Amino acid sequence: MIKKILIVDDSPVSVKIMKSCIPKDKGYEFSEANNGEMGVEKYKEFRPDVTFMDLTMPVMNGFDAMQAIIKYDENALVVIVTADIQIKAMARAHELGAFAVVKKPPAKETIAAVLEQANKKLAERC
Amino acid sequence: MGDCKTQEMISAEETDILQEIMNIAFGRAAADLAEYIDIYVILSVPYVKLLRAVDLPHYIDTEINSYDKVSVVEQKFWGKFKGAAFLVFPTGTGKKLITLLDGGAQVFESDPIYELEMESFREVGNILIGACVGKIAELLDDVITYSPPRVVVEKKHCGVVPVDLFEENSMAIVLKTLFEFNENNVSGYLFIVTSQESFAWLKSALYKFLSQYE
Repeated sequence: MIKKILIVDDSPVSVKIMKSCIPKDKGYEFSEANNGEMGVEKYKEFRPDVTFMDLTMPVMNGFDAMQAIIKYDENALVVIVTADIQIKAMARAHELGAFAVVKKPPAKETIAAVLEQANKKLAERC
Repeated sequence: MGDCKTQEMISAEETDILQEIMNIAFGRAAADLAEYIDIYVILSVPYVKLLRAVDLPHYIDTEINSYDKVSVVEQKFWGKFKGAAFLVFPTGTGKKLITLLDGGAQVFESDPIYELEMESFREVGNILIGACVGKIAELLDDVITYSPPRVVVEKKHCGVVPVDLFEENSMAIVLKTLFEFNENNVSGYLFIVTSQESFAWLKSALYKFLSQYE
């Protein structure tokens, strides 16, 4: 079961929107980072069950951060949440190991469905 | 006008919301262009700035001063969100765009280059500006009308924005994004500027957008 969620996004508004889309009755513990590099560090510290990751960020972009996280933990569940909805960007995210790709602004139903899939994935591993 | 006054006009949170909306809108525009001409557009973090309308031409000239000459697509738009968009490319972009739009075909000296360049800029401008401004309007629940695009090819980088675009004593908001096409070494800027006339509506529309998520 998902207990910890990491949100990596440089936009405070985007983080607020993401949090509002995540069900509030599940008691998730949150951590945040505002660029890809900090996201990788936070991942190692916080060890989230699911990471929501933006792509266009300063310092380190989401592609590089996701690659670094998956290199560190091949079981990491990284969900890309992005405004970059070009087919090539979405395909690259999948190629690099994204668990799912969600378009910005996210919808509550989409995030709930992704979290449900992530829960199933985690249950399969037990 | 001092910093306190400008801060009253647009708060840090309003700037963040606008930046995120520009991010989403330009992402949509890039996807539309990428679908049309099989490229990949590398996006950057958008930037939002509030400044005096009188300083706008100088600000934009400074932003693009690494370009020797520029080609510009300008399009005005009207709705509750009202202003103008300027898509600015550096020297030599026109021929690269002709090749891209022509599916890689070579450009010959005998071709009517100037007309082809004008047409290429108009096409790319229509897609990027139309999709970006259109998405901003959609997210903020507005409906926009556009002027036909005005294209200027290979002019000096000074004076891209006319000094009389907005009222002299008013304020303006600039949304800026830098983009690159992964192939063909093409890059440019999109500036979307809106005048003080739109501020009151814009502030309330930004909070209405955010309230969906509270």
